[in-house]
Amino acid sequence: MATEDGTTTGESLRERWNPRIERFRRGWDRYTEHRMGTIGLVLLVIFSLWALFPSVFAPHTPEWTAYLGTEPGRLTGEQLNSLPHPPAFGDPFFAPLGTNAGGQGIATLVIYSAETALYIGFAAGLLSSLVGVPLGLISGYYGDTWIDETIQRIVDVMYGLPFLPLLIVLVAVNGITTTNIILGIAVTSWLNNCIVIRGETLSLKERSYVESAKVAGASDARVIFRHIMPNVLPIGFVFLAQDAALAIITQASLAYLGLADFTALSWGIMLQNIQTAGYVYTAPWWLIPPGLMITFVAAAFYFIGFSMEDVTNPQR
Amino acid sequence: MSRISARYLGKRIVVSYLTILVIMTVIFALTRAQPGSFVTSMVSPGMNAEAIERLREQWGLNEPLWRQYIDFMINYQTGNFGRSPNWGVPVWDLFVRRMPRTLILFGAVFIVGYTVGPLVGMYLGWWRGSKKDQSIFVGGLLAYSMPAFWIAWLFLWLFDYQLGWFPSTYMLSPFAQYEPTAVNIMIDVLHHIALPLFSVVFIGWVGSMLIMRPTMNNVVDEDYVFLAQAKGLSERTVMIKHAARNALIPVTTGAIIALAFLIDGSIIIENVFSWPGMGQVIVTAVLNNDYPVTQGAFFLLGVLVVVMRLLTDVIYTYLDPRIKFGENE
Repeated sequence: MATEDGTTTGESLRERWNPRIERFRRGWDRYTEHRMGTIGLVLLVIFSLWALFPSVFAPHTPEWTAYLGTEPGRLTGEQLNSLPHPPAFGDPFFAPLGTNAGGQGIATLVIYSAETALYIGFAAGLLSSLVGVPLGLISGYYGDTWIDETIQRIVDVMYGLPFLPLLIVLVAVNGITTTNIILGIAVTSWLNNCIVIRGETLSLKERSYVESAKVAGASDARVIFRHIMPNVLPIGFVFLAQDAALAIITQASLAYLGLADFTALSWGIMLQNIQTAGYVYTAPWWLIPPGLMITFVAAAFYFIGFSMEDVTNPQR
Repeated sequence: MSRISARYLGKRIVVSYLTILVIMTVIFALTRAQPGSFVTSMVSPGMNAEAIERLREQWGLNEPLWRQYIDFMINYQTGNFGRSPNWGVPVWDLFVRRMPRTLILFGAVFIVGYTVGPLVGMYLGWWRGSKKDQSIFVGGLLAYSMPAFWIAWLFLWLFDYQLGWFPSTYMLSPFAQYEPTAVNIMIDVLHHIALPLFSVVFIGWVGSMLIMRPTMNNVVDEDYVFLAQAKGLSERTVMIKHAARNALIPVTTGAIIALAFLIDGSIIIENVFSWPGMGQVIVTAVLNNDYPVTQGAFFLLGVLVVVMRLLTDVIYTYLDPRIKFGENE
């Protein structure tokens, strides 16, 4: 920032940012009033820690197998028959949530898979916001012109293409990798985002501060991104959180249909493996944890999203 | 109808038609972009190049792409969907056989989910901030976060494997032990539909609740609600007749999104319960490059969504007399 009136850069910076910090603090206080939002944040922090330092939390590494540990070797027939093994604590081996049919520890896999889930959630959420928010802003700002008309027709076409079948086609065309799944989810999930942001922009652009910015000679791009965008970003974040949750659930659904990169570790793939191994009914220690984790991480995103909606749009 | 000008309606219909044409083009491009074609999966090891060539010729894959595109556009709009290479029957016959089964299951899901969701949303919005609101809302979001196939497995494990109350697969018992009268068949279908229905509704009601709750809450502060209360009407009357009626508009829009959700749900749930409906057909068709069936299914769904969007705009004007379309045309 340039210095003004002889003050130092640091001071002017502080002056400039103080109201924002103050506003943030007020928002934060309001946010933590919601127990739901706090729970969501705590859950997300736990999952982030799992994703960043899996080796600290997991009892073993993913290479570990029951009976053998990390040593190469062969299982005896009797040992093979005991897999998937229910939870065991030290006798004959330590696996707090049991093992799967391949002898890997469920607890280990669950913790090592957090990374994939968070990666898919954040990447898909961010990408669909990066498409939806600018398009919504532009569409709203140029409301009732050919630009708006074009964008809205694209939205109409996308609405006419069913979400999951389209996603299956996209993934089938581009190859089944985690990145392609994320791209596919982003391509199909920016619509709601765009429509809501457009509606907001339509009403915001009539405000007097937009008028004054225009009169002061600001370009359209500056008005849109400097003056209008900060006001729609909170809603953008709400949708980001919802898209992230949806993306994680969708990835699990795709894995269920056999469309996943099976070399990756993910909760959806763990669930699919139960089905292919045929232990859906007989190995609850294997069935319940991955599904519960998907539920918790998606719920964490929803909790945060809806609490933020309340913070940005207080109605009480 | 009088609230919508004929001119506006005409314009909307033309635009909807053009939208369908673009959707068809996208479908065509996507199916052709998939690697391989359905002929690849028909080829058996003993076939020579000539026989493969003949197969391609037979299914019209040797025509230039633009020719295939024009044929596709004309044939599908006239209801001629061709033959499915995968099932070996006309696509239309396949749909006619499968569609009613999907409609039975998801018609029921739609009715139950769309009754429960807005009702719960109405109460939650009315009591916003109370303990009851908070806990039901959090519970709803948790249900909403569950993968559909996982919760279906849990229900299957409990009600089929452990308790044996409900059957796990199909729409009717394969070897029926009862007299095939209408009533008995109905009972059998109801028995089979219970678990899939419950699994989808368990998640599905939340969507409409999420839309209803905030709009209901906005309506609560409106003057006309205050007026209705001041008139001395009972809380129930005010809530249902005065507030909820006006909160229904976004829920109607949401119904289209819910429709899309149902299609997704049908794909997953039909696979879990081996329900012989459209969801299974779509997945199999897409994965086997069955162009005619994929195109047909996407085409019908696209038309359905576009027509629904048009209809909801008309329905709006009845739900809220203040909305007028085509005023400034």
